[in-house]
Amino acid sequence: MSQKTGSTYNQDAKKAIDSPTLQKNLHNLYERFGKGAMQVWEELEDQGMRDRVKESRMRTLAHLDIVLAELAENVRKRGGKVYFAQSGQDAIDYTIDVARKNKVRKVVKGKSMISMEIEIDQALAADGIEVIETDLGEYIIQLADDRPSHIIAPCIHMDRNDIGQLFTEKLGIEPTTDPEKLTMVARKELRQELLTADMGITGCNLACAETGQISIVSNEGNIRMVTTMPRVHVALMGMERVTATMDEHRETIQLLTMGAALQKLSTYVSFTGGPRGKDDPDGPEEFHLVIIDNGRSKILEDSDFRESLACIRCGACLNICPVYGKIGGHAYNSTYPGPIGAVITPLLDGINKHADLCKGETLCGACLDVCPVRNDLPRMLSALRYKLAYGDNHWNVRQHNVAESYVYAAWQRAISHSSAYRRMIKTVRLLQKPFIGKNRMIQRMTGLAAGWTDSRDLPPIAKRTFAEIWDEKYAKPQQQTQEIREEKTDD
Amino acid sequence: MTSDLSFLNNIRTALKLPQGAERTKNMFPALFAKPDKSKILEKIANRSQDEKALLVDQFKANCVTLKTVLHVAETAKEVEDITVEIIRTKEPEFSYNRHIIQHNHPDISGMQLWKRFNRESVTVHTTFPGDPEITEKTIAAYIGITVPRISIAESGTLVQFTTPGCPRSTSLVPSIHIALIRGEDLVADLEEAYALIEEINPGESFVFISGPSKTADIEAHLVHGAHGPKEVHIILLKEVEKIPEAAAESQLANIAEEEACQEGTTKENADTVKEGTAGLEDPAEKMN
Repeated sequence: MSQKTGSTYNQDAKKAIDSPTLQKNLHNLYERFGKGAMQVWEELEDQGMRDRVKESRMRTLAHLDIVLAELAENVRKRGGKVYFAQSGQDAIDYTIDVARKNKVRKVVKGKSMISMEIEIDQALAADGIEVIETDLGEYIIQLADDRPSHIIAPCIHMDRNDIGQLFTEKLGIEPTTDPEKLTMVARKELRQELLTADMGITGCNLACAETGQISIVSNEGNIRMVTTMPRVHVALMGMERVTATMDEHRETIQLLTMGAALQKLSTYVSFTGGPRGKDDPDGPEEFHLVIIDNGRSKILEDSDFRESLACIRCGACLNICPVYGKIGGHAYNSTYPGPIGAVITPLLDGINKHADLCKGETLCGACLDVCPVRNDLPRMLSALRYKLAYGDNHWNVRQHNVAESYVYAAWQRAISHSSAYRRMIKTVRLLQKPFIGKNRMIQRMTGLAAGWTDSRDLPPIAKRTFAEIWDEKYAKPQQQTQEIREEKTDD
Repeated sequence: MTSDLSFLNNIRTALKLPQGAERTKNMFPALFAKPDKSKILEKIANRSQDEKALLVDQFKANCVTLKTVLHVAETAKEVEDITVEIIRTKEPEFSYNRHIIQHNHPDISGMQLWKRFNRESVTVHTTFPGDPEITEKTIAAYIGITVPRISIAESGTLVQFTTPGCPRSTSLVPSIHIALIRGEDLVADLEEAYALIEEINPGESFVFISGPSKTADIEAHLVHGAHGPKEVHIILLKEVEKIPEAAAESQLANIAEEEACQEGTTKENADTVKEGTAGLEDPAEKMN
């Protein structure tokens, strides 16, 4: 299928499975944070918390127009600027406009998923502005000219040797593989950038409408630097990342840090909602909040998928997912990998285009169990597959595989009519003969079915099926009972 | 604000609301309903000595896990001695000069640190409002001293508000952050802290700080000091038990008295929790 959509899902997945570094790191991630998050939820004293937060997330979404209007009003009261961006391009245009007006030469960024979603870095660079990522993982990715592969741990696919070599090449340091030394090198390099940048760009983990503030979590402290030292701060925010009240904020932010890294709180939770006060010696002179739709209102509209906007981007579903745990983040070819990415990437960027993501997950339900707000990702994945199977005008989905739909229609007919089914069994019994190997299993098949036997054997249809043996031994004299039994077997 | 209108209208359409019907928050009082916080505030104000002692223990344990160095002091004099000792024993990270920067707060200025260092090459700067050189001084400093308004036992967290005399960078840019806190400002959990924050209603900026800056982006190996302070020292001044007659007297008077009695107390008295070994297996430490 991948050839058909031009997707690199299969190749990237294979590359990931062949990388021992990535496999080791993914395994550790699963053992520590995937299982760890499950344990945190089990031991949570307040078992009602997750449901309460989900309820408040859904309530906020149902009243999003009111909550966002309130947020904007309260930020403006403090002298902050608020811009509502319908598309990613609108957000880029606004930010570049702010940068030009302030004669910005250098931008430092705090890790922000939405900035990657709208691809603002490229646009800023094209305008002659230097952009520096300041989260250590993102900085390494930027130096390596690579793509992040996890929303919380961007360079999980690299090991200390890769990073040491990269630093020697790009920063000219003495070769070392010591994480401590490497971190200190980055600390020194980035401190210079952070203290001399003109503008800081961050995302927003969770805004609070009633106080008119955004809040951002970080462990490194780069977010605080980015929001404190440069003259201008632009915060890019997905329109769903907001709570109405501080009470809702408190519980939601706790679920975020617990789900992301099993922490009661991350090292820093920064609240900011305007430019520096008149007598404040530091903090930005201008504060801009850019609230971005970029396809989210369409998700909001569809009751099947609205729930996906309740996501708080903790990444727990990546950590527990058996598929992500093998193929890593790059195969998803999206800002958002893992189970949540498999749902929202198609919704934001085209369901046909990202068909492999919907089909790649196993629907095992681990993501639902680990999700702090119990988002039913498996249900939404099934809904996406349904659209791919039958097509959908509203989402502009064409049937993903027409031939497949005929095969299933025929199969449905065959298995719902006992005589047709029995005829089919008899035919296949004849056809399978040349394929049965020495171990009495079907070891390889031809044509479309060849893929099935690439890595496993298929048991052949028995010489005589259970139903046939039964008929011979017991049922023959009593024709009527047999018919009843037949129906039962066929159900 | 034309962008507001079409953007919010688009959301209303998505929510299948009738066109042009703008909704206001007054129509949905439950959405921004504020539960009564007076019970929580009362609980904070009327905590018994035993309960307070338990909170201190919980705070201590969390500091160990977070690799925050917690010093517990009985008197203001001890706080001062511990602070001086930290300044003397720590080396600057980014330069050879020993500059320190402190918030303009009575609990810090009361220590008169500049007097303690008048014969040493330590320069003490204070973040007086209106000083245009504060940022340069902060960048030059290797130690920043602040007085967080609230501390949270459940998570080992400091809550630092920004005001003109207490800028954001003091607890961030220097390599070492020293936080002076008082036992009476210690609350049990986030719920209590949020109730106080809403009561105090701080300005546009405040921050929760739980331990020193850290990262685990390289092979999930935990390293302290990514961008923020490498070390956080909290000096907790134990609450003085109020004697009924003296209850009306200010805390400061009490401390001044004790200070006078205990002149010459050695700093070894300080109950110091050094970096512990507990929590090494704690997966929470190993994240970015």
